Amino acid sequence: MKRVILLLALALGSLSLAQQRVTIDFWHSMGGVLGEATEALVKDFNASQNRITVRSQFVGSYDDGLNKLRAALQAGGQGRPNVIQVYDIGARFMADSGAVLPLEDLARANNFDLSQFVAQPRNYYSVDGKLYGLAFNSSNPILYFNAQALEQAGIPYRNTWSLADLEAAARKLTIKDASGKTTRFGLTIPIDSWFMEQFSYNSGQFFCNNENGRRARATEVTFNNPAAVAFLDTWARLVREGVAANTGRNWADSQSLFAQGNAAIAIYSTASLTGVLRQVGNRFPLRTAFYPYLNERNGTAIGGAAVYLIRGFGEEQTQASWEFIRYLLRPETQAKWIIGTGYFPVVRGVTELPNVRQAYVRQPNYTTALRQLETSKVNTASAGCLMGGFTEIRQIVQSAIEEALRGKPAQQALDEAKQRADQVLARYNASVRQ
Amino acid sequence: MVSLPRWLARPLFYLGLAVYAFLLVLPLLNLFAASFKSDGELFAPGFWPANPTLEPYQEALQKYPLARYLLNSLVVALGTTLGVLLLSATLGYALARIPFTGQGLLFGFVVAMLLIPGEVTFLPLYLLVQQLGWLNSYTALIVPFMASPLGIFLLRQFIKSLPQDLFDAARIDGAGHLRMLWHVALPLAAPALGALAALTFLGSWNMYLWPLVTINRSEMMTAQIAVAQVQNVEVTSWNVVAATAILVLFPTLVAFLLAQRFFVRGIALGGLKG
Amino acid sequence: MSVERRETPWIRAKPQTRFRGGEGLEATLLVVPGVALMLLFIVWPTLNAFWLSFHRENLLGTSREWVGLANYAEMFRDPAFWRSVGATFVFAAIVAPVQLVLGLVAALMVARPFPGVNLFRTLFFLTTAVPTAVAAVAWGWFLHPVGGTLNRALEAIGLSRQPWLTSPELALPALAVVTAWAGVGFTAILLTAGLQQIPEELYEAARIDGAGSWTQFWRITLPLLSPTLFLVALLILLSSLTAFGQIHLLTRGGPMESTTVWIYRVYQDAFFNFRFYYASAQAVALFLVLLLLAALQFRFFGRRVHYG
Repeated sequence: MKRVILLLALALGSLSLAQQRVTIDFWHSMGGVLGEATEALVKDFNASQNRITVRSQFVGSYDDGLNKLRAALQAGGQGRPNVIQVYDIGARFMADSGAVLPLEDLARANNFDLSQFVAQPRNYYSVDGKLYGLAFNSSNPILYFNAQALEQAGIPYRNTWSLADLEAAARKLTIKDASGKTTRFGLTIPIDSWFMEQFSYNSGQFFCNNENGRRARATEVTFNNPAAVAFLDTWARLVREGVAANTGRNWADSQSLFAQGNAAIAIYSTASLTGVLRQVGNRFPLRTAFYPYLNERNGTAIGGAAVYLIRGFGEEQTQASWEFIRYLLRPETQAKWIIGTGYFPVVRGVTELPNVRQAYVRQPNYTTALRQLETSKVNTASAGCLMGGFTEIRQIVQSAIEEALRGKPAQQALDEAKQRADQVLARYNASVRQ
Repeated sequence: MVSLPRWLARPLFYLGLAVYAFLLVLPLLNLFAASFKSDGELFAPGFWPANPTLEPYQEALQKYPLARYLLNSLVVALGTTLGVLLLSATLGYALARIPFTGQGLLFGFVVAMLLIPGEVTFLPLYLLVQQLGWLNSYTALIVPFMASPLGIFLLRQFIKSLPQDLFDAARIDGAGHLRMLWHVALPLAAPALGALAALTFLGSWNMYLWPLVTINRSEMMTAQIAVAQVQNVEVTSWNVVAATAILVLFPTLVAFLLAQRFFVRGIALGGLKG
Repeated sequence: MSVERRETPWIRAKPQTRFRGGEGLEATLLVVPGVALMLLFIVWPTLNAFWLSFHRENLLGTSREWVGLANYAEMFRDPAFWRSVGATFVFAAIVAPVQLVLGLVAALMVARPFPGVNLFRTLFFLTTAVPTAVAAVAWGWFLHPVGGTLNRALEAIGLSRQPWLTSPELALPALAVVTAWAGVGFTAILLTAGLQQIPEELYEAARIDGAGSWTQFWRITLPLLSPTLFLVALLILLSSLTAFGQIHLLTRGGPMESTTVWIYRVYQDAFFNFRFYYASAQAVALFLVLLLLAALQFRFFGRRVHYG
């Protein structure tokens, strides 16, 4: 059997190409406009020197990318990339996989000063006290306002909103026709677990135990915390009363509703800003504000994704990968990356660059995320939850949101979801030990 | 039951036909119309674009290597089809015309293989293909599907039904099995081969789950997966998605219109195999 | 593995008195490649599916341990699994009749020749040429909540827009209709072939007896077509139980997992939840259901031709 396979493989398999320069593979999940920006960075890097060629590859969604990495590792590492972009919630998996060369080790070996990093991205991607990945594209959730609607309703713009204030504003902004049908919604939020996570963090609560898995490995989820329950309860109540729109899980549907002027407040990522601005056009002026909180504003965790170096390549290749990372960390590169994408820089000193300042003056909404980051408290809550099986757990949370929006009490929906999520987490932790 | 007068029945029949056909094709027409709409007009009322534009096509072709994706699909579908024809003809011939020990058993085996739903064995097949190092290659999309129990079965039935005299005559001329297969069986089996080819081509072109899991290099993607990818990235630009879909539909549509006879026969044969 | 050994009885051609030497080699050449590929790519994965389902993997799937029937035990206790089974059968139960009726109407219209029949056959069979992904995109746009033609039409006649693919109640039936639509061409082709096998004389005799077309349909067409109808229904069931592409493209199993059908659950567990072996257990269970249906089809229709 083995021999048959080997023969067939020899006869039919593809041949590998010989290379002269050091070529490294970079897998990313940036499609569309973001993909173009990513490819531009790679192109610039390749043009900036003549020893290293980065071969970039769009591998589909973050889930697709992670899955393909796992497949490659399973096949004994054959075809794995040197550098891969993996989403925020893959941090625990990447560290547990043993396949990653921690960024901190490389930085120390190459005398790179880690204090250049902005605190939150560094905290988020640190596992058991060690920095593993480089926050490549970092974002926050923020509030989007139709400023025209706000003005017409006589609501003054503010930068910080508690959940209660937001609810009051949303009610005031809702317009219904004679038959009671909503013609303009006060609020629209895409169904996404991320907003529940961030609301917990921003209210000083944890999404998983052991202080968001930062003191020790998380063994239970805590997404049925009082803040998350209050958020979901309010959200569901507003949907049932026709104040908030339910556009499902697809962000694009919610964004078109907002951009058409059919919803006055929305919650998206900072990374959505460029797209939303384009969709809104000249229809109305747009304002952004910090993410809401329950009682006292703590701070949001970063979202987005990080790039990781994969272990097991020769010295030459590893060094080449590190050169690429170094290039991405340069303030000029960061400046180029953040202008127009809505992400924020992960090293200090970028925002002082003249072209960045100009861009921020031109479109001040881009500074909201940055200021939110700067004014966030740095603690284990705002470090974000670190746990395995997060992909599956997000699905569970999203189902719980959907159940609550359809009438199940928020507390009950989240309690039930916790049962399922804890099983997933327990199984994940067992698979790490195995 | 009151029968309608003939002068009324005929136009009514055609009207019914036209309405039914229109409704069936409507989603495609709708997609076609959207592919010529500008961004601004996309969500405006009106079925057809007021100002048709080729911009969505330009954008789709500019952003995505659609020609490459279509080429991938073509290579895979043609490769699979040729493989299936070759193996079905050879094994079908052997089962029909060469008596050997265990022939009945082998035929029973082929029939049993017919029962195995391929969609469900894709996990172990994936592991196998991974171990062979075939992920991200045409090989992964072609080789596992070259031996088609249905094709072997169909051709065996067809070759068995050919008159024995023809083979006897060839044998008197000193022909061996390979020559008889090539010169006698295959020319006569042309209709069956054509039908099988159409059926296989279509099946391979339409593969979705398998290329989705075995291909992750973008230059190796098939057209089907590319459509999904484009739809995933261009969430709000339905006109670009529509243009991509129309471009992917075009080759199969042309193939279908040109070889409708074979497609129809292939499906009828494949479906009514039992 | 004893794959090579199992091939041997078939390779050795029995020397027949009428045949000359060298035929054993020819026969081997004709038989072996096809059989080898079938063993490697059909038999082996099928057997392996069972074997895998008795294991559990570590984090990266680089090692596995034997867990016996634990995956099956978990599966039977897993509400998510049962929901997916339920969704699968609801889905199939909608697809089968809708596709059958749509296809039958089309076939009845074009089975007999009339001027222009070829044009209408082409139109009715057309969906055969539409790849799943294209069909899904076409319907995704047709059912779009804002720009979709269907919702526009509903509004024009005074009804309200429906969230076809985003509501847990409507998404599964909507997907079933998409699937049925995509299969209309296929069904119409098979039923047209079936209708054409009904002798014209029967209809002539009925007409002479004064039977109307309605009576002819119920008394002649339907009874004589019923074996074909039954077979086609089984084929539709078989394919709808493994429908994947349209679901992946249009709803990704949502909303509220309402469209996470069996095969989608398998895909998701294997490739996103990193539970390849648990997914294998679910795949084996689906396999057994499909095998049952295939065997049923075979039992009813196999005798006619096999071992001919």
